[in-house]
Amino acid sequence: MTVLELMERSGSDNTNLTIAWIKDAVNLIQSNTKHDLKTETITITENTKSYEPAADLMAIDNISILDTQADQYKRIRRLAFPPTVTVDNSP
Amino acid sequence: MSTQVDRDWFYRHNGKKIEIYRLKRGESKVRTDGVLSSGADELIYPDETITNGLRIEYTAFINPFVSSDPESTKDSANSAVTAPEETTHVNLNRMLGLAIVSYIRAMLAEAAGDIQKKEYYMRDFFKKISDNESNKRNVSISSAIGPFAVR
Repeated sequence: MTVLELMERSGSDNTNLTIAWIKDAVNLIQSNTKHDLKTETITITENTKSYEPAADLMAIDNISILDTQADQYKRIRRLAFPPTVTVDNSP
Repeated sequence: MSTQVDRDWFYRHNGKKIEIYRLKRGESKVRTDGVLSSGADELIYPDETITNGLRIEYTAFINPFVSSDPESTKDSANSAVTAPEETTHVNLNRMLGLAIVSYIRAMLAEAAGDIQKKEYYMRDFFKKISDNESNKRNVSISSAIGPFAVR
């Protein structure tokens, strides 16, 4: 559907506002469903626990780690609670 | 070399970042009195560097506007439009396009101060999204008929 068709069907007469609402609606669709998935890979560095995902991330579907022996990415589980840290690197 | 990553590696959300931990299995030790004692398991930071070792699959705001009709053009052949106009296509199928019509109607109702109407159209919006999702899954449900059931 074109933007004009959406405007005609909904009875909107403001193009810029309609485009902004379409973007909001696409955001909501992507937040609630897996309509379009994107993949990003990050290099794991020794002794580093924190990694920054892509800026356009909306909702995480899954996280995998490369099993270098099998040469396959395998899904890992999420920790529900923060672990007890006994030894930490300087932040 | 990372092995058994699905068993020994974990992640955790911390604000905007993702924390990665590896489970280090407790090592058995022989005490001075000759008794074998097993150490406790502990979570440690990644103990090796793995190139492209972390893979994240996520939903994102991917090309909401395209130049050609997405229902007649393959996604890979369609080009993204960064400055959309009235003639630009929304990169969604017809069902999700109709959901967006409901969303715009909801926003118009809200702007007019009619919250009841807005709620009605928002419900319609989410119903169409769930209809679109259920269109991808065909599940048949069968149940046994009782021996004395009227046939």
